[in-house]
Amino acid sequence: LAKSCPGQETVTLYLRGVALRGRRPRPAPPSTSPPPASTSHPIKQEDNLTETRLVSHSQITRLYSRFTSLDKGENGTLSREDFQRIPELAINPLGDRIINAFFPEGEDQVNFRGFMRILAHFRPIEDNEKKSVAVSEPLNSRTNKLLFAFRLYDLDRDDKISREELLQVLRMMVGVNISDDQLGSIADRTIQEADTNGDNSISFNEFIKVLEKVDVEQKMSIRFLH
Amino acid sequence: MTSGTGPRGRPGAGRGLPERGLLLLLVLVLLEGSVVFPLGAASSPDVDPRGHSEDRAVAEESQNYSKKAFPVLSLDYHHIHVPFEIALWVLLASLMKLGFHLIPRLSSIVPESCLLIVVGLLVGGFIKLAGEKVPPVLDSQSFFLCLLPPIILDAGYFLPIRPFMENLGTILMFAVVGTLWNAFFVGGLLYAVCQIQPGNPSDLHNLELLPCLLFASIISAVDPVAVLAVFEEIHINELLHILVFGESLLNDAVTVVLYHLFEEYSGAGTVTILDGVLGVISFLVVALGGVLVGAIYGFLAAFTSRFTSHVRVIEPLFVFVYSYMAYLSAEMFHLSGIMALIACGAVMRPYVEANISHKSHTTIKYFLKMWSSVSETLIFIFLGVATVDGPHSWNWTFVTVTVLLCLVSRVIGVIGLTFVINKFRIVKLTTKDQFIVAYGGLRGAIAFSLGFLLEEKHFPMRDMFLTAIITVIFFTVFVQGMTIKPLVELLAVKKKQEAKRTINEEIHTQFLDHLLTGIEDICGHYGHHHWKDKLNRINKKYVKKCLIADERGREPQLIAFYHKMEMKQAIELVESGGGFKPPSALPSTVSMQNIQPKKPAAAKPVQRALPQLPKGREEEIRTILRSNLQRTRQRLRSYNRHTLVADPYEEGFSDFIIKKQKIIELEKKIIHMNNLTLPAAPPDSPTLCRARLASGTETDFKPAQQQKGKQSSPDPQAYRPKRDSVPTIQVDLASPQSPDSVNLMDEFRANGSRREEEEDQGLTMRPRGEDGRREQLTRCLSDPGPSADEDEDEPFLP
Repeated sequence: LAKSCPGQETVTLYLRGVALRGRRPRPAPPSTSPPPASTSHPIKQEDNLTETRLVSHSQITRLYSRFTSLDKGENGTLSREDFQRIPELAINPLGDRIINAFFPEGEDQVNFRGFMRILAHFRPIEDNEKKSVAVSEPLNSRTNKLLFAFRLYDLDRDDKISREELLQVLRMMVGVNISDDQLGSIADRTIQEADTNGDNSISFNEFIKVLEKVDVEQKMSIRFLH
Repeated sequence: MTSGTGPRGRPGAGRGLPERGLLLLLVLVLLEGSVVFPLGAASSPDVDPRGHSEDRAVAEESQNYSKKAFPVLSLDYHHIHVPFEIALWVLLASLMKLGFHLIPRLSSIVPESCLLIVVGLLVGGFIKLAGEKVPPVLDSQSFFLCLLPPIILDAGYFLPIRPFMENLGTILMFAVVGTLWNAFFVGGLLYAVCQIQPGNPSDLHNLELLPCLLFASIISAVDPVAVLAVFEEIHINELLHILVFGESLLNDAVTVVLYHLFEEYSGAGTVTILDGVLGVISFLVVALGGVLVGAIYGFLAAFTSRFTSHVRVIEPLFVFVYSYMAYLSAEMFHLSGIMALIACGAVMRPYVEANISHKSHTTIKYFLKMWSSVSETLIFIFLGVATVDGPHSWNWTFVTVTVLLCLVSRVIGVIGLTFVINKFRIVKLTTKDQFIVAYGGLRGAIAFSLGFLLEEKHFPMRDMFLTAIITVIFFTVFVQGMTIKPLVELLAVKKKQEAKRTINEEIHTQFLDHLLTGIEDICGHYGHHHWKDKLNRINKKYVKKCLIADERGREPQLIAFYHKMEMKQAIELVESGGGFKPPSALPSTVSMQNIQPKKPAAAKPVQRALPQLPKGREEEIRTILRSNLQRTRQRLRSYNRHTLVADPYEEGFSDFIIKKQKIIELEKKIIHMNNLTLPAAPPDSPTLCRARLASGTETDFKPAQQQKGKQSSPDPQAYRPKRDSVPTIQVDLASPQSPDSVNLMDEFRANGSRREEEEDQGLTMRPRGEDGRREQLTRCLSDPGPSADEDEDEPFLP
């Protein structure tokens, strides 16, 4: 893989990182943004990919080829336009939000590492991982999966889903034919059901609690990312 | 006679009067049954000659009379004996069901299927003791054509599509590969054992390989009836239930092919490779053909239901008849009838339920449950009877080896398959799951009927086969059926979650669906979500338009779910009596305003002359009023035969809080709204006359209109909405009709052109001109529609 893409230092570094480095403890859900997406950046910061070192070689290869096929500008990074070129995303109600999730704060380009980082959330949880008592939590743990989803609701990053944010999402999912009032009642009821501390918005913990019966591990996993 | 009722009559101390009455009834029925049978044989020839001789004597005596004496009372059992016996069996079955539930301890230890088999044995014993010939009750004609379809239709119609589709790969593996493995393993080893039978040249040596394989293919299929009967009582989690149950349904295709294959060729004696290949092709044809036939009939039924709005009473009939015809058509071509039935039920359900009325939906549900319940009971009783009756030929070796091999092969099969399957599953099957799946492989009446179908002359071993089949059935149903419940408790297998879905779960699940679809698209991976999304899109765009009448199908799932929740809560508010009294000002506003909540607001969101009360609240109020006159029940998601109604009072504390808040909000809003009234229709308008006179038939319509009629002072000065900006509904005043024919549907259906216009605009409620104000009430006035107050059921592929 390294030979075929000479410019992609990050990829070779991945593989090396996969082979050489051990597990480095990762801090709690990172609020710091990932490193700027430039191809020649040496991997000195936390390398989340080492957490997902169980992503197999073939998976990386497949995703890399997908990455390059999306990358029309051939500069090793993806821009928003590259994502928007995917036809099914255009009709997906959450398309824009998903695309934005790939781009770190204020950035307009995402490199392969960033790409993989987001996708690593959707790996199925292995049995041995479930029971692991490692210090760091892998990206694809239930909590982190839910955090990813939570962040898609919570655009202003205040760790709360407010009524307006919920309304926005509902509007996107439901379409244009339903009145604002109806959506408002739905949003109100949703918040009523979930809200335990009475602040009229859904915090992350309340979000987790509400979804405790839903099989998130299965719902938020893509099978081929084994 | 009394011994049959003995075990039930003994705990007599604490029994109340109704129970005693029931037991007495039971005894009487049994007595009558057993008396009638000999009478049936004896009545006709005895009575008539006597009667004739008497008449002749009379005629001789009085020559003036040329006619014989008019028989005032005569007995002619022969005339009615067939339907009478059928009815008697059904009655017996139903009384048994009642009887079991009178003794709670018994029904919690022993599953109902076991008790019913015992009853069958007893009844068969009586009949034999009475010297009568046992009626051939479980002959294959009646079984496959009358007793089996209701159960399968019930299962197929209420099949939970979502878990079924998600686990389809696993289910197919178990059904196809598992059954094949079972058949060949059992057949081969049985043959080997029979061959090495030591000593006496028993008949076993004559047993060829092919009949062995045929026997094995009959015995290796997991039976849906037995599985349903046992699993319904143990309430395990949805995944395991759908795995075992789905397997039992889908292995019918395999069974059919293997059965026909081996039956054909056991005459010939050899099976070549070509036959094997043909068998595989035949399997594909049988399975896919069955599904196709079922799907075609399903679409036909859905399409028909689109037009049934004028003749609501026969709507359930379409569902039943189309499904039955799907079954029969599939059987006609020797395709898999079970798969056809399942496909038909599953395909037609989302569309039919969107089209039919609320009452029809209830009718369908209750009829299906009733028929399948009676069918199942009868099947088990007949199994007992046929056991007593059937020609038996007991062979220790054969029978015990069969039982043993069945168990062993099932266990090995499940373990082996799970090993392979787990490589492809996201949520792996644990050992506990595997155990339950293996242990839940019950055999049942289908195996027996297939064995019964074998012809004696081709299969001299038929009696031995039947004995072995019955033994295996008894073993699985009794031993495994009785012990699976304590084992489930012991192993702490996850039970079914009874809690209802909250709106949070609904929203977030949909959200995650979209999210995952997007991620899959980004990865370029055409996985599960991608295809599901595509199917949903096609469904929404083309299929629903075709199969669902007018705009009902276009409501997003989320909104429908929300409405159902709100209505349910409103009803519960009233039923729990939260101190809420609807003031008199309400009805007028409700009846004049948005009666059809599914209609969204006008496209211009600005013109909302009554901003205070959102449509959800209005709907709530309306249902509160209506529910005072018509109690309605929730729809259950599961297909549990024993409990059709969920207890509306099993809400938790948080719901109680929500309700209280709603009451407070509602009261606030009502007080606010008391200042506003809309002009009510004058009390003697044709509409109201019609409504009042028709109130006997249309109870739903009564409260709103009657209240409207009673409105003494409409107070038109208080509020005048701008006519051209308020989306209001006014009941049509312009067409007087006779009071009897209140078919409000018709009136407004006539307004076809308006409707199309509306559809173009995508369900906007446009304000009308001054003169001919008509609005489509569609179903609401006569029928709130199936979404009235019921739990959410998954749409086609949610």
